[in-house]
Amino acid sequence: MKTGWRQALSKFVRDRAALIGSVIILGLILCAIFAPYLAPFPDDVYEFHTSNRLRAPDGVHYFGTDRMGSDVLSRILFGARITIMIAVIAISITVAIGVPIGLIAGYYGKWPSDALMRVSDIFLAIPQVVLAIAIAQTLGPSIENVILALSATYWPFWARLVYAETRSVKNEIFIESAIALGAPPWRVMLLHVLPNIASAIIVRTSIGMGNTILTAAILGFLGLGAPPPAPEWGRMIAESREFLPEAWWYATAPGLAIFLVVMGFNLLGDGLRDILDPRIRRAASREE
Amino acid sequence: MTKHPFRLIALAAVAALGLSGAALAQGKYVHANNSGYDNLDPHAVFDVGRAASRINFYDGLYRWVDNPPKMIPWLAESHTVTEDGLSWTFKLRQGVKFHDGTEMTADDVVYSMERMLAMKKGPATLFMAIIDPGTTKAKDRHTVVFNLKEPSAVFHSTVPEILIVNSKLVKQNEKDGDWGQAWLSKNVASTGSYTLRRYDPAVGFVGARFKDHFAGWGAKSFDEIEFRTVLETNTRVLGLLKGDIHGTDGYLPQDQIARLRQASNVQIIEQESMRVFYFAVHNSRPPLNDVHLRRALSYAFDYDGFNNDLLKGAVSRNAGPVPNNLWGVPKDVKGYTYDLEKAKAELAKVKEPMRPIVIGTLAGFSETEQAATLLQNAARKIGIEIKVESAPWPVVQSRMQKEDQMYDMVPLWKSTYYVDPNNWIGEMYGMRYLPLRNNSYYRNPEVDKRLEQALKVTDQSTRDRLYQEAGRIVVDDAAGIFVYNTKWFGPYAANIGGIRFCPIGNAQDMRWAYFK
Repeated sequence: MKTGWRQALSKFVRDRAALIGSVIILGLILCAIFAPYLAPFPDDVYEFHTSNRLRAPDGVHYFGTDRMGSDVLSRILFGARITIMIAVIAISITVAIGVPIGLIAGYYGKWPSDALMRVSDIFLAIPQVVLAIAIAQTLGPSIENVILALSATYWPFWARLVYAETRSVKNEIFIESAIALGAPPWRVMLLHVLPNIASAIIVRTSIGMGNTILTAAILGFLGLGAPPPAPEWGRMIAESREFLPEAWWYATAPGLAIFLVVMGFNLLGDGLRDILDPRIRRAASREE
Repeated sequence: MTKHPFRLIALAAVAALGLSGAALAQGKYVHANNSGYDNLDPHAVFDVGRAASRINFYDGLYRWVDNPPKMIPWLAESHTVTEDGLSWTFKLRQGVKFHDGTEMTADDVVYSMERMLAMKKGPATLFMAIIDPGTTKAKDRHTVVFNLKEPSAVFHSTVPEILIVNSKLVKQNEKDGDWGQAWLSKNVASTGSYTLRRYDPAVGFVGARFKDHFAGWGAKSFDEIEFRTVLETNTRVLGLLKGDIHGTDGYLPQDQIARLRQASNVQIIEQESMRVFYFAVHNSRPPLNDVHLRRALSYAFDYDGFNNDLLKGAVSRNAGPVPNNLWGVPKDVKGYTYDLEKAKAELAKVKEPMRPIVIGTLAGFSETEQAATLLQNAARKIGIEIKVESAPWPVVQSRMQKEDQMYDMVPLWKSTYYVDPNNWIGEMYGMRYLPLRNNSYYRNPEVDKRLEQALKVTDQSTRDRLYQEAGRIVVDDAAGIFVYNTKWFGPYAANIGGIRFCPIGNAQDMRWAYFK
């Protein structure tokens, strides 16, 4: 077991993409935690300096100032907190709903499987962003509702994935023997099926984080996210549109932040897949 | 080499686009509007955002033109008033044709007035209190008499808002006694400058020049006009820069005006205007019914930062509801300043339990959102929590007109519908205009007494005094947060001539304009 982990770790370190991804994510988390210390003007999340508005980046304001004269960099650093909070909570709820549904449906088959899978098919039939917009619009703009909209629309992807994985694992000999030995279904599901499909879930979760952050930014951009003055990245881009192309830094900075974080999660997800899931390997790792 | 064919195709595509653009521009004026045209009924809609359909499709008895506004005879040629100021007789122009070729008569005028009074929407607010249904009479084919319940000092200046519909045509399309509202919301039945060619509430409308219009046409008048809904400010500005549109609203953010000034194909027409920016405050809902909280909020708005930094000084501070460049303004009232110490002192006197205050802003009008966040920011420092919500103008307006649904505060403009202090302070705070025009739900008998009296007397100096007195009380009561009076910066394509700005309608009367 130990050697397995060590092997995985060394593989991970050698995989440059995964390493870059995890460094970016680590950076994001550190930014969120230490935002009050890192931000040059921590008060600017709420504080306006109207006479200082739309200043181009310089030695004082590294990313310039926005339409209210607040420091863009400071707002982005604090925005990382909102982004992480939305992504982590939404993904946790998503996993908590999607995984059990997929497990039960995949394990039992027959009508429970049909019922659960048809429900998730209904959700999957509507593009996630469209459904999330509809839900967020109906409930009114707030962070809680964004989280709700994201979780309500994203769980079917997990349910589908876990369902498929469970179905394939279920026919393995070790599962059959566990059942033959008289293990109750919950024991088989939790102790034998789940550990064997965990890698797929972890990979999906990492990539799902990126996707969730992107969708949350879309909702923020449309004015359905955190209400002002919350330094939400999507909202910042929406505000900046009016000042393009002159105030280029105003849209570029939050755009770059979203790009980096989403790419970070995707790289990490790809890296994890290479290590954890021997069945799907990228071309690069096959060359080794 | 391989890239060559693509380049040719691209060139051809660019050329084709350019050509079609030029062909379109022959006689069609395209305007981008920052709010939607959800209804074309001239008796249902009455605001600046949707003024273009009223002005271009319909004719009133008189018409406003130029700046300062002048009233010129239009469907009516002249009028006489009886000594007591109650009976107004209008002589109509003869031989005016509706779009369907029938002649406009006094019956159509009577029907139009009755229709407004029955529908009780938009423009009806101007007449409901002074004209009873059934009292307007057609004396003969071309003479109509309005019988007022009480003398009115402003009736004369609201005559241009009596827009005439084709009564026969509308009656044919009535359903269940709805005065043809369903039909007229999507159709036009008028004598107006343009006939309706295409209409989609989501897109806007296209009008074709009505060649038989009684007022005739200039040699170069537009054949077609299109008013398109474009909520995105940047899209409107880019459209103007690229030549896809020929004009847009004259109240763009100053950052955009500065950008447009640099373009050689765009002209900016500057005019003095009367358009007061203020926060409509729900004066009846706790805790905002407490004058000290309203005063605290009035002290918590950074007027200087907003007017001079955000709007780059393109506006001037207006301490009360009536624009400073009009009469009836108490010049000695300096209004509130940004002073958080005074705000705190006022807040300490508030007895009502506090709760978060909700501000509704107008989507597509970023200035309203900036004003709201500026107030939110300062209010937070003195311990008042403010939430900001955004919605499209028609949604905000319909909420404002219901006392239980009105937001706690709405930052918006009070534009000119007729040039009289009553247009501002009277409609904003007079009880007779509840709830359609008085969205502040302000009920102060002392103010109301003066506003009512000012409507009934005709002596100018008395009216001036009454409006000044009412203005003093309203400002002292902090019935609203009064911010600025504006200038109009009309952005048009450089090849457009004949734009005739009037504070009423904001230059959207397209019959005077042409391509140079």
